[in-house]
This record gives sequence, structure tokens and C-alpha cells, in this order.
Amino acid sequence: MKILIVCSGGMSSAIVVKAIEKEAAKTGLVMDIKSVGTGEFAEEIKNGWDIALVAPQVRHRLAFFQEAASGCNVPVVVIPPQGYSPMGGAIVLAEIKKLLS
Amino acid sequence: MYKLFELLDKYLIPMMTKLSEQRHLRAVRDGIVSTIPLIIVGSFFLIIAFPPLPGIAALVKPYIGKILLPYRLTMGLMALYASHSIGYHLAKSYKLDGVSGGVLAMAAFLMTSVPVTYEGRGLALLMENLGGGSMFVAIVMAIFAVEVMRFAKTRKLTITMPEGVPDSVARSFEALIPTAIIIPIVWLIRDLVGFDIHHFILGLFQPLVRAGNTLTGILVPIIIISLLWATGIHGDSVVGSVARPMWLVLLDQNIAAAAAGQPIPNIGPEPFFQWFVWIGGSGATIGLVLLMLLSKAPYLKSLGKASLLPAICNINEPVIFGVPVMLNPLLFVPFLLSPITIGITTYFSMQFGLVSKPFILVPWTLPAPVGAYLATGGDWRAIVLVLVNITIVTALYYPFLKAYERKLIREGAAGEFEEEIK
Repeated sequence: MKILIVCSGGMSSAIVVKAIEKEAAKTGLVMDIKSVGTGEFAEEIKNGWDIALVAPQVRHRLAFFQEAASGCNVPVVVIPPQGYSPMGGAIVLAEIKKLLS
Repeated sequence: MYKLFELLDKYLIPMMTKLSEQRHLRAVRDGIVSTIPLIIVGSFFLIIAFPPLPGIAALVKPYIGKILLPYRLTMGLMALYASHSIGYHLAKSYKLDGVSGGVLAMAAFLMTSVPVTYEGRGLALLMENLGGGSMFVAIVMAIFAVEVMRFAKTRKLTITMPEGVPDSVARSFEALIPTAIIIPIVWLIRDLVGFDIHHFILGLFQPLVRAGNTLTGILVPIIIISLLWATGIHGDSVVGSVARPMWLVLLDQNIAAAAAGQPIPNIGPEPFFQWFVWIGGSGATIGLVLLMLLSKAPYLKSLGKASLLPAICNINEPVIFGVPVMLNPLLFVPFLLSPITIGITTYFSMQFGLVSKPFILVPWTLPAPVGAYLATGGDWRAIVLVLVNITIVTALYYPFLKAYERKLIREGAAGEFEEEIK
């Protein structure tokens, strides 16, 4: 499964990527997760992703991300604030599973 | 307190996000962001020209002119580069051809400068008209150029090529009529009527730039950024899109003074906030993270460990959303008070000449003492000020974190000691 995470500069989301990967590994899920900054999102989203997750601190730009993703049919979801921390991997993973079911 | 968050959610956030999502401001922000690599690499040469070590400084002194050249042709031409990328992004946002938008914006900007005669060599453009100090001229002219393009397009004032003509050729013809409008208009106003557009625009924004250098001008962005982050919105990116052009003008004046060997005039360019106020991230949360390391609540302690490295690099989303600071009435008080307090201490330290004013832009993920040292051209007192500021914010966070910790323990939400997080 390929997941794209977008935050402001692609820095903080890198921390969350680690948290999700660790949580996913526990359940034996293999995930390809990449973090990008807001500026790269519109280009990157075209490269075949299953889901796009938006960091909570840039949720005010959700409309912009959705518009960019609309052409490639990728669902765009805001990460719940509690999940956006090094200890929030489980919360984000649950969100991802909910989205896929 | 929840009432306050409600009010913020209802008024401040929609207002600020609307502002930062506004088409032209967004183009300005994205346009300036694309020039940041040039700024950083250019600034690097400033550090070499003004090395923080006196011994080396004396050594490079005879070569300063040569060393500064890469800086002069990158950051020294900031407005020129920015005009192109602002025009590009604005045109893209209207679904017009980006490259044409960029080229037209740049042409409109260049047209506002009159070349001077350089004896024996011909004509020359003054570089000072093309640097960061002219950022607002670049912005206004880029918007003007792309709006004319859009006008031409909506009024169908374009030359449409017959089918079969390659796309790229057709597109360049599309820009022909807007160009034929933009260039003569600027020329008419600038050269025939003799109205100095360049300095008129500079004068228009002068009060804003001057305000950015006052104590109020420093506290307003600090307060708005903190309020936005307190509700979990990326305050810097929102406020920065409005304030960055102003910060760049202030920075440009500082660099020009440094390069000329004169005293640095401005306190308020962006490195002021980056290194002396947002230590550990917005809200100066370094103090919070340090206290969390010693917390009695296992959850806070392990989160503190996991957040320390990001905090040293000024990334604090882990604390904002993990603790959380967001919508947390207890931590809201120090989250707002800390940056205000150290903003004031830093302002007056620089005002009274205790610490040098910043004039170099270095990547924001450096640890604050290092960044502050480099940004001030190697002033060791900047490191002392950062350490003092860290002490102040740690003290400010202390009673509130303790209260929050007690609350967590009382509610049984303090958590077990989790496994080590790397």
C-alpha cells in the first residue's frame, strides 16, 4: 500500500512516517509511506498513491490538496491531531484501516 | 479558556487562512519559497566573507569583494528571481501558461528600472533595484503582468493559432497581446510621463517595513503565530506568507550594511524570530520538552525523549499534537507568554547593543545557539542570549506543566512507561 503524507515542509511528517511504519510492522503490514511538503504535493500525488494524509497543522489547506488529488482519484484525509506525534502511530494506522474497509 | 479557543476557531483561523489562501498572497509565498535555496547558498558566502573567527576574518579581508560575488548575484538579485517565480505561480493558479507569466512578470519588473550609462561600457542596470529591498516592486509588477494576461485571456484578446501548430509555439503567441499591453504601459508611465513606479511602490510599503522593525511589529506576528499554533494550525506558514516580503526587505538592508562595513540597522528580519524566539519550534517549546524529560508522568516522559531531537532542530509538531499543546487551556498560557517574553528580552538586548542584530539566513533546522551565532555573524553573546531565553521559557512552562502532569495522573491518563521510542 502506498501512502503519501503532506505537511508544511515535509519535516514533521517524516517523524510520523516512522511511527506509522513501526506500528504497521507489528501487524505485519507492509507500507510504502512518503512525506512531502505542501509545495511538492500537487506533483507527487500524480505518481500513483493509494491514500493521501494531511498533517493537522496544514488542514486549512485541505481544499487545495483535495483539488490536486481529484484528478487521480486518491482519497485525501486529515490525520487526527492526537495521531500526529511519535506516539500516535496506532491512531493513524486505525484511520488508514478505516479508510480501506 | 475553551471559549477563547472557540472564538479563535470562529474568527481568527478562518480570517488568517483565507488571507494565506488568497490567490495573490499564495503566489507570493510560493514564489519566494522557490528562491530560498538561492538565499541560503548566497548567505553561505556571507558567512565566509564575515567569518565568526577574528583570525580568519583578517585573513579573508582582502578577498571580500570576490567572496561576496556569489551572494550579490543570488540574494543580491532576489527581487528579480522572485518576480519570475511569483508570476509563474500566479499564472498557474489561473491555469495560464506558467512560463509566460514568469517571463512577463520579470519584464514588467525590469521595465520599472531605468538603466544608467556606464562610461565606456554602455548601459547598466543598478543591482540595488533588483535586490531583496525591491521585493514589493517585484510583487506588484508580477501581479500586474499576470492580471493583464488573464484580462487578455478572458476578453479573448489572444492570437489563436490554427490546429496543428505545436502547443509550445501556440502558447508563446498567446502571450503576445498581453506583452504588447504590459510593456508599453510601463514604458509610458515610467519613461514618457516620468513617474517613478519603482520608488513609488517602495514608498507605499515603507511604513509597513518600518513597522516591522518596532517592538509592536515584532509582537504582533509572535502573538498571531502562537494563537494559530494553539489551535493546531501552522502559524508560521500562514503569517509568513504575509510578512515574509517585509522580513526580506529588513534582511536586505542589514546585509547591505554588513557588506559596506556599517552598523546593522534592523532588529526584526526573520532570523530574529527563528533563533531567539521560536527556540525548539513555535511557542519556544524547548522549555516544555526539557521539563518533560524529567516528568513524573510516564507518557510525558517518553514523549519528551522522542521529541528532544526534533526540538533541537526546531520541529515541534510532536509536542503540539502529542502532549498536546493544541487546545490545552493549561499549556496555552506559557505557550503564548514564553515567546512574547523572550521576544521582548531579545528586542531590548539588540536595541541596547548587548547582542548583534541578525543579518544572515541559515537553515532553520540548526540548533538555536548555532543558528543564532551564525545569523549574527559570529557573536558569542547571541549564544548567551539564547541560553538565557531557554532558561526563561523553561521557568515559564514549569508551573503549568506540573499542573498538567498532576491532572493527567489524577485522571489516570499519565500512561505506563512505554517502550523506548527512537
